[in-house]
Amino acid sequence: MECRVLSIQSHVVRGYVGNKSASFPLQVLGFEVDSINSVQFSNHTGYSHWKGQVLTADELHVLYEGIKLNNVHHYDYVLTGYTRDTSFLEMVVDIVQELKRANPNLVYVCDPVLGDHGSMYVPQNLYPVYKNKVVPVADIITPNQFEAELLTGKNISTEKDAVEVMDLLHAMGPDTVVITSSDLPPRLGDRFLVSLGSQRHVRPDGSRTTERVRIEVPKVDAVFVGTGDLFAAMLLAWTHHYPNDLKTACEKTFSVMHHVIRRTISYAHELAGPGRRPSPPQLELRMVQSKADIEDPAIVTEATLIS
Amino acid sequence: MRTAVMECRVLSIQSHVVRGYVGNKSATFPLQVLGFEVDSINSVQFSNHTGYAHWKGQVLTAEELNVLYEGIKLNKVNHYDYILTGYSRDTSFLETVVDIIKELKKANPSLVYVCDPVMGDLGAMYVPENLLPIYKNKVVPLAEILTPNQFEAELLTGRKISTEDDAIKVMDLLHEMGPDTVVLTSTDLPSKRGDQFLVALGSQKIRKPDGTSSSQKICLDIPKVDAVFVGTGDLFAAMLLAWTHHHPNDLKTACEKTVSVMHHVIKRTITYANGVAGPGNKPSPAQLELRMVQSKADIENPAIVLEAKVLQKSLDQKR
Repeated sequence: MECRVLSIQSHVVRGYVGNKSASFPLQVLGFEVDSINSVQFSNHTGYSHWKGQVLTADELHVLYEGIKLNNVHHYDYVLTGYTRDTSFLEMVVDIVQELKRANPNLVYVCDPVLGDHGSMYVPQNLYPVYKNKVVPVADIITPNQFEAELLTGKNISTEKDAVEVMDLLHAMGPDTVVITSSDLPPRLGDRFLVSLGSQRHVRPDGSRTTERVRIEVPKVDAVFVGTGDLFAAMLLAWTHHYPNDLKTACEKTFSVMHHVIRRTISYAHELAGPGRRPSPPQLELRMVQSKADIEDPAIVTEATLIS
Repeated sequence: MRTAVMECRVLSIQSHVVRGYVGNKSATFPLQVLGFEVDSINSVQFSNHTGYAHWKGQVLTAEELNVLYEGIKLNKVNHYDYILTGYSRDTSFLETVVDIIKELKKANPSLVYVCDPVMGDLGAMYVPENLLPIYKNKVVPLAEILTPNQFEAELLTGRKISTEDDAIKVMDLLHEMGPDTVVLTSTDLPSKRGDQFLVALGSQKIRKPDGTSSSQKICLDIPKVDAVFVGTGDLFAAMLLAWTHHHPNDLKTACEKTVSVMHHVIKRTITYANGVAGPGNKPSPAQLELRMVQSKADIENPAIVLEAKVLQKSLDQKR
């Protein structure tokens, strides 16, 4: 497989978020991963302390210029995630647009990280940039419920609402939308959460069709960091292998997440000891230990087609 | 039955390139594939390595390196089994690396520092000259495993290598400077297998409980390749780390595996590069980037393609 991804995300010295979370699994699956590190921090910001440096929009541009001058700015995928800086995000948009001119088949996988559980955790002025500039050039987006509601201005209370919101997101640009988590009531009980996906296809005869899926995912009693970055990377990989089968792509992606998370939580509890809550360092994803699951995930979640 | 998962954490302080495989890009994936936890500090971020027609990017200052280390320390996660360093151009950066290693060794006295003392090749230095005294006086004394080429070994010891005996003497001098494991990654000594081969040598000091030490000296004839690769030295040091970890008292096996991995990656790379360049065309630097992700199976379990020769087991009655 010859498939090159440009991933523009954070780098942490220790742990698995941003590029650290995305690169290894994609490489293990045979993707060539070029990575621009938007920051270099000692560790993610959920630890007691964190220190490091950020890349400016200018510096990002300089790195891209180097790639361009060598005539190697040809990518099959671009992958982006957590950003805090509007000028950086706008530079990313310019780069994506140029890369799409170089390769019109380029697929931009975008995690529109804005917030969760009802509140934004990035500066508010990123919202119009995502809405008006980023999402329109995205081909695959992975918002959570809050981000999906924010981007469309519509609340999700029922599955029907979710379907409408995903259709609104399609209308903004991306043909593939996965709402990574929602607080819709799961059919399998309260130990699960509901995720949804929607993919627009054009049939050979030119007519359009939409595949919609609903996935019930086992809940985990812990706060993980970097799982969203792993999710977007694995959705990239599995939609690449199943471009017209969102159901299978989602089953594989959610299953990988499940294996990595379960391995991580077992290990974290072992380290912390009985009755103790694991710390952020102890909860770092067990990424290298999950290589076999990443390569060939046993399917443990079920997606059902919905209309 | 559950097999024990290896818990081994490496701190690698090397370059990052957006595209391609040098420095941390070359070292990280193979080590992760072999199950090592790799923490990486990127000493620079460049678009690509400096052998391309163009390159652009930013460097990390000694101060910024210190800040990153401070973050790790404040969280009390400054515990490593290995440190790995390579190409550096900045004396103050290198000196900060030395300080960090000393501190990490206080935190874990069993820490193993794997050092590629990158200074030059083929008779010329390609880093600033003022790095030599720092390597000689501060870095090498801290290293447990050293991977100089012939030029670097000669520079560090002040002694030329014209014969196998010279090489043995130079490796012993390097042991006296610090590292118990030394691999001369390439030399221009004549190979008994002919001029399509280059000679590499290794020496590992084994300290016995009674205070005496012996050393195992080995020699390898490595098939030459008709191309200039970048990043292979970084891959070599990383894989030597991995295979000496699994074979800590058997430098022969560790080197056979390391050199074999190199062979598979290089063969795959050169085949691909020639294919992309087309018949009669010399592949470009971009085309010669190591086929790293495609070599995952070879990295995990390298088929051994050469045998190291044990030269001698010498007994030194040193205490």
